[in-house]
Amino acid sequence: MNDFSFVIKPFGENGWLAELSGGGMVERALAANAAADALRNVPGLTDAVAGVESLAIRFLPSAMTAEAARARLENALRHAAAPSSHSAPAIEIPVSYGGEHGPDFGALTKKLKISGAELIALHSAQTYRVLTVGFAPGFAYLGPLPEELQTERLASPRARVPAGSVGVAGAMTGVYALASPGGWPLIGRTPKKLFDGRAEKPFLFSPGAAVRFAPIDEKTFAAMEAAPQ
Amino acid sequence: MTPLAEIVSPGLLTTIQDSGRPGLRHLGVALSGAADPISLALANAAAGNAPNAAGLECTLKGPTLRFKTPVTFALGGAEMKAQLSGSPLRLYAPHEAKAGDELVLGAAQTGARGYIAFAGGLAGDEFLGSRSTYLPAALGGHQGRALEAGDTLHSAELPTVTPRDIPASLRPAVAHDFFLRVLPGPEASQLSDGELTRFFARGWNVARRADRMGVQLDGERLSLVNAPAMASSPVFPGTVQCPPDGAAFLLLCDAQTVGGYPRIAQVIAADLHLAGQMRPGDRVWFQEISADAARDIALQKASFYGDLLPFGFFR
Repeated sequence: MNDFSFVIKPFGENGWLAELSGGGMVERALAANAAADALRNVPGLTDAVAGVESLAIRFLPSAMTAEAARARLENALRHAAAPSSHSAPAIEIPVSYGGEHGPDFGALTKKLKISGAELIALHSAQTYRVLTVGFAPGFAYLGPLPEELQTERLASPRARVPAGSVGVAGAMTGVYALASPGGWPLIGRTPKKLFDGRAEKPFLFSPGAAVRFAPIDEKTFAAMEAAPQ
Repeated sequence: MTPLAEIVSPGLLTTIQDSGRPGLRHLGVALSGAADPISLALANAAAGNAPNAAGLECTLKGPTLRFKTPVTFALGGAEMKAQLSGSPLRLYAPHEAKAGDELVLGAAQTGARGYIAFAGGLAGDEFLGSRSTYLPAALGGHQGRALEAGDTLHSAELPTVTPRDIPASLRPAVAHDFFLRVLPGPEASQLSDGELTRFFARGWNVARRADRMGVQLDGERLSLVNAPAMASSPVFPGTVQCPPDGAAFLLLCDAQTVGGYPRIAQVIAADLHLAGQMRPGDRVWFQEISADAARDIALQKASFYGDLLPFGFFR
């Protein structure tokens, strides 16, 4: 029995949106993704996209009625069993915090009234789950972020955030797999390659994966960045 | 790969585009592809290509190319006063270039984007099954970027059929006024009383911020009530978002996959191609219709174009 509930709303003439509430943040996100996975290869459905607490599907009206698409969505969510614990080992992400790799690190410690060491300790002590992937190619939303680190997005987003950047916003921390525009305050960067354009699965993170951040210094960052991966 | 042509001057923003990357939004991967996909598909048909072959998308001011090999090509979308070694060219008809010929495109008189389709299609970097250029993450196309002077285009050497003239009745007309039919979006009820009616009643100006990600709508600001902070939730091309500042924004083909602003309207699938021709200063009206009507229009439009568009084009 799931702890979350959901409502379904129309989203365009060829789409439906389910909004999840109740239960925990991780449970909602992973249930939405489990349902999206189950729906993705249904003939007649063209998209199944999970948000952090939502799931949108789109269908081809020439291949499926709106009612049938809605029933599929409802059914998938009812039977979406989000795995409560993750058996696979956590993906370890080495992060160089602060300095040129984390341009908002200093401002954030002032705003949150904590030391740099505390910020690093808090951020890297937690094992996070990938709640969903979206916004930019391979961008991973991870949670939950410790309350002491929660903050708003930047007032004006950056036009370009380097690949590997690690940011925080609200109850989440996020990793930019590719250089892209971005509005999250940046606290560090990983030298680890999170994207391989030639691989069948080009992005390292997928929903549900467990992730830990391991602090490294700038020298280690440079050495790892230079080494073949 | 055969070298096809050299870019003599690139125009304002010229990129390689095909029919994009549908069905990958769960990876955070935008649709991309031609912003006005019908015009590219029809230009492809005129050149003898399959609808999804890659061609050039030329924004507001077109490029100058010098051909390196004889090739059939066709133009579509915005009229850019194209000339081949001095002779004016019609849209949606096959033309033959010889090696050494220069193709010069000028400024678009109306519309934002002109298309050039080359028989055999353009080669380009493939990412997740498409050659489309996605500028925000520098993926696909020509090294993930807009073309520059000195770049060489190559043919993908895809199989072709006989080139053909596209009948006048099928050629999309491009003007300065746009009428887009929409359904209210999931958060339409977050607009203040009467605001949704106002959104439909008035014309909106296309702001200077108009690119492949989306189009800012200028005019009055809309006001939102009881708008709680939203967790990132899926958006699609055609979604009209209303950020807290009330300046509505219509998402297009390069739009991000999730967003945190109220979705007040959704442009119907059958009308979305029109939005790819909106340029700063143009006017746009939104008309509310029913979901049944929207689906009927998509079916009618698909049968109108027949096999010139692939199955499931209006998605």
